Amino acid sequence: MKIKRLLVSVAAASAFAALPATGQDIRIGANLPMSGPNAEYGELFSSAAAIAIEHANADKMLSKKLVMVIEDSQATPQQGVVAMNKLVSVEKVPYVLSAFTGVSKAIAPVGDKAKVVSVNGGGIGPDLAELGDYFWNVIPLVNLEVQALTPYLVKERGLKKFALLYVDDPAGEAIKKELDIHVPKNGGTMVSSQQVPRASQQFAGIAAKVREAQPDVVFIASFGTQQAQIVKQLRDNGVKQQLVGYSAFSSPTITKLPEAKGALFPSQDVNWDGDAISKRLARDWKAKKNKEPNAYVANYYNAVMVFVKLAQALEKSGHPITGENLLRQRKAVGTFDMVGGKMRFLPNGTVSMPLAIYEIDGGAGKLVKGNLIVE
Amino acid sequence: MLLLQLLINGLQLGAIYALTAVGFALIFGSTKVFHVAHGAAFTLAGYLFWWSINAQEWHWAVGLALAVAVVVAFGLFMERFIYRPIQRHEGAFFTVFVAAFGMQVIVQNLVGMVFGRGFETVTVSLSRAAEIAPGLFVAPIAGIAIVVAIVFFIGLNLFLLHTHVGTGLRALADNPDLVRVFGLEPTRLAQVAFGLGSALVVPAAALTAMSQGINPGIGAHIMLISLAATIVGGIGSLKGAAYGGFLLGLAESLAVWKLDPQWSEAVTFVILFVFIIFRPAGFLGRAQGAK
Repeated sequence: MKIKRLLVSVAAASAFAALPATGQDIRIGANLPMSGPNAEYGELFSSAAAIAIEHANADKMLSKKLVMVIEDSQATPQQGVVAMNKLVSVEKVPYVLSAFTGVSKAIAPVGDKAKVVSVNGGGIGPDLAELGDYFWNVIPLVNLEVQALTPYLVKERGLKKFALLYVDDPAGEAIKKELDIHVPKNGGTMVSSQQVPRASQQFAGIAAKVREAQPDVVFIASFGTQQAQIVKQLRDNGVKQQLVGYSAFSSPTITKLPEAKGALFPSQDVNWDGDAISKRLARDWKAKKNKEPNAYVANYYNAVMVFVKLAQALEKSGHPITGENLLRQRKAVGTFDMVGGKMRFLPNGTVSMPLAIYEIDGGAGKLVKGNLIVE
Repeated sequence: MLLLQLLINGLQLGAIYALTAVGFALIFGSTKVFHVAHGAAFTLAGYLFWWSINAQEWHWAVGLALAVAVVVAFGLFMERFIYRPIQRHEGAFFTVFVAAFGMQVIVQNLVGMVFGRGFETVTVSLSRAAEIAPGLFVAPIAGIAIVVAIVFFIGLNLFLLHTHVGTGLRALADNPDLVRVFGLEPTRLAQVAFGLGSALVVPAAALTAMSQGINPGIGAHIMLISLAATIVGGIGSLKGAAYGGFLLGLAESLAVWKLDPQWSEAVTFVILFVFIIFRPAGFLGRAQGAK
């Protein structure tokens, strides 16, 4: 079985390598972490985008075949810029999928200069709303997640004392900044904030300091394999308090981790049984991956579908599919029917979508409180 | 109490670093091959142990046996098919290093492709800490790690001191030419060093899979710390590598006592630099030119 998986991976890699071969295609780029400790996200995001491309091609939504050229950002800003330059200058794509706050902030000027649209479906730093006209977000940013989560924790669950573990990158810093504002605003207090290096893998000592602070709730603001290591080591080392995170907790690594059971996280309120588009994606995702989809699947599917709908309109009106025209068209349309309901773009390129709070239950997450509107 | 807690955590972590560092030191001390791919052996051992228990539901002893068999084979393969041909032709240190580093990257990616790129852990009750005194949490695995490390070091020491092969390995470290004069085969002894050194990562990797969890990049990270431990302990000294591993584990853990967690790993390298500047031979290494 493992050999089969290896062969499938090799075949998939070869397939991606072969994508730019034909000049008859409409191409978009994807600047995602395909190797390194955050490769799990790249696999998840690119798989969701690949289903959107499959659907667009099956439904003949565009005049030519749509293909995706993937470059590996390794989730680092440096490698992300190298990948973005290649997508913009060599592949000449008009539209690039992006992820991770640090990477997105690094690549935005490249896209802005070349008038290539970058669309983020995974990074959550509030700064991502300020990266110019050519940088869009199809994910509600973390300021909205924190605004949805903190009143629930403080007022409804009575969890007033917060301890924070945050990674030393723009996403971690952004979450700290938001918690420092919204926890006191809702009547809670920050009793401890500890910053951890991105490469750190040892948290037993940090767990001892968390216990010493005696919080009611521990907020983990990290991502990738590190957040799973933090959860496991906190639980193993006597931290019994409620654990919470942000939307990165919806990654399969966390949701299947026994130690994460009961942890809470905010994410988009996606009703997979709601409309036909959501149902179709959920069905195909389960068939391919044998597991439930999460909000990231919706985001990267939506990111591709935003392009498809804009490109479709441009083709109909006889305009070329360029970054400049895609931007103009997005501003003209504004609202899209997407997975999870209506997606409305705000003037700063972010989206307004209802949020929900989920509890990790070993599956895709149990809905605890839904339809939370924050702007 | 926090200090005592950090001390215990540091000893547990130090045991893992020490086991990995001693394996590397045995290989490097005997053969003078800078086997950076030792970290790849760690990754392989961790994943095979996890796969045997979580995916195949085999007994943990079978998982350990499989991990030992594969990493020993990996070590022998590296010696026979990578390092020996390089040494036969030019033997440049840099070429060996690049080859070993390349193998580390290949293994990391293969492991990611076969087993997935996410975080995996062997969930056992042994890693769950219990409060043995107010504010002091200790997991059984901490004691196991320390005892396993001590047992392995004593066993290795006895092997090196009281067996013909052990004596040969020590002789190989001292003077390979003289080994030949006495009718021993250096390449055969090098194979033993690689096999034995690689096997030493298995307990460390299994303990890591249970206590911290593993990912495809774990070997590179552990190897970096273990390499520092080998230098701090004194290159060529197994006892020094063990002491170095424990010292760095303790330092990494105790740093959190008064410093921000961001400094915990930096402290490791501060210690390394202090040794490089003030005691380049390490704890127990031989001073340059003493040979």
